[in-house]
Amino acid sequence: MLRRLLVGLCVLAACHTPAPRHDGPPARRIVSLLPSFTEILFDIGAGDRVVGRTTWCDYPPAALAVPSVGDGIPPNIEAVAARKPDLVVLYNSGPNVTAARQLERIGIQTVLLDLNRLEDLGPATRTLGRLTGLEQRADSLAIALDSVASQHPAPPPSIQSLAFIVWDNPPIIIGRGSYLDELAALAGARNVFHDVAAPSSQVSLETIAARNPHWIAVLADSAETPAFAKRPEWRVVRAVREGHFLLLRGSLFGRPGPRSGQAVHELRTLLEGGGER
Amino acid sequence: MKWALLCSAAALALIASVVLGPAAVPFGELLHSDIVWNLRVPRALLAFLVGGSLGVAGAGLQALVRNPLADPFLLGLSGGAGLGAVLAIALHISGPWALPIAAFVGALAALALVYRLGLIGGAALDPRILLLGGVAVGAFAAAITTAIVSLADAAELRNAFLWLWGGLSSASWDAVLVVALYAPIPLAILLAASRPLDLLALGEEPAAYLGADVAAVKRRVYLAASLLTAAAVAVSGVIGFVGLVVPHLARLMWGHRHRVLLPAAFIGGGALLVFADTLARTVVAPRELPVGVVTALIGVPVFALLLRRWTIA
Repeated sequence: MLRRLLVGLCVLAACHTPAPRHDGPPARRIVSLLPSFTEILFDIGAGDRVVGRTTWCDYPPAALAVPSVGDGIPPNIEAVAARKPDLVVLYNSGPNVTAARQLERIGIQTVLLDLNRLEDLGPATRTLGRLTGLEQRADSLAIALDSVASQHPAPPPSIQSLAFIVWDNPPIIIGRGSYLDELAALAGARNVFHDVAAPSSQVSLETIAARNPHWIAVLADSAETPAFAKRPEWRVVRAVREGHFLLLRGSLFGRPGPRSGQAVHELRTLLEGGGER
Repeated sequence: MKWALLCSAAALALIASVVLGPAAVPFGELLHSDIVWNLRVPRALLAFLVGGSLGVAGAGLQALVRNPLADPFLLGLSGGAGLGAVLAIALHISGPWALPIAAFVGALAALALVYRLGLIGGAALDPRILLLGGVAVGAFAAAITTAIVSLADAAELRNAFLWLWGGLSSASWDAVLVVALYAPIPLAILLAASRPLDLLALGEEPAAYLGADVAAVKRRVYLAASLLTAAAVAVSGVIGFVGLVVPHLARLMWGHRHRVLLPAAFIGGGALLVFADTLARTVVAPRELPVGVVTALIGVPVFALLLRRWTIA
């Protein structure tokens, strides 16, 4: 569920990153402070240079062998510095900007990257390629990721609607500002809260009931339906009453990254197969 | 006249909260709609009961500690409730009622601790000690809660804070039933203590001369008000300002006699929370504001006006 929070965090910051300056040699010792960045670094062949990760960085499995520097929310500066990195990769958010400044002050190079939407994946990958001197592999991954972001899905036989429920009391849903909204569209589903511009928002239960989504999508690490499904007030929502839950693995769906294409594919399969996984 | 005004305000608030909502329910279908019957009506009733309970608890506590700033949540209960909820999540206690029950138990634990502090050294529930003890216990519970949230792995824990400020989202007929069966007992205890509470305003010694069993009254009022607040926090989280502002408003209109003040605080508190919750659900629809934000937005200006009046007078 913290992955949910990460998603939430991903969404809160919408500031723009200044073009990362890089004049030195390729980074040799990298601390990655977001699971997405860890996945990208491993994917472009810089995995053996990752010397620090967050507790949430669980993919690829090889990443688990890298020492953790904590949950990264906010980053523990001393734990990061103790890994003696020459580059720290941070997600661009308020607390991380402060952390980056502190790291720069003790002579550690940092880069703050936006990663709120699928479109941010390509640029982030290219920047990491440049900083590690692995431009070519980064470029081919970036091209693949750009094509995921820009593909126009073939319209499925019947458009199904869904609502992402991040938290049940108060009910918090995912809106247009989140990349999960993009994932749903690419998989051929309509987020019933697409009209909410924010990445996530508190709504009333009756709004969810009135919008009547076919599916309730939740990020979950277990195959059990969420506990709120049993609460009487939630049974007013038809999809809850009928047990129409899409249980999405947090480690795959909770973060944009090299596997976003796979996430789209899995969601599409789930929708076509009636939610069984 | 005043009563008619208050009761019609309450009735209007209740009707508005059932008729209005983010989902467009056609007028003709109001009586048959699932959304109205299973979401809006229980939510309006729960808001009324919780708001009324907080109003009465606030009025009782303000008289008890003889401090106009007393709020039901000042006595450490919200800290205890938050700790209870976080512990329930950390220990993976599940079930639809796990969080409310854990929060209730946490609030009761905080209540017991503050109560015990209030008796130390023969203090006999000295108002100053109750207030200081409440603040201290609340801060201590909040510190433990924060420590658990930062150290534990369960990611859900961070959302426990959301739950504590969740407002009336989890309203259901079950919750209404539980509160409707539970609240009348402490409410009746408070109402029965009306006369001694009036005397207590003169000070503890004069009240004792005039025949009030001061120690017993203080004990009863403190426990009853806290039990009301503990139930409120268990079903709707922390909702600020209702228990602070409503008693003052009621006192301005109805004077200091608790036999009238307490019922007025109940209806007024209920009406205010129903009204605030209706605004919270509708003004930014389809999004929703936390109801505590709305009660504060209404409550703080009213409170500022009151302060001005007092300082001028």
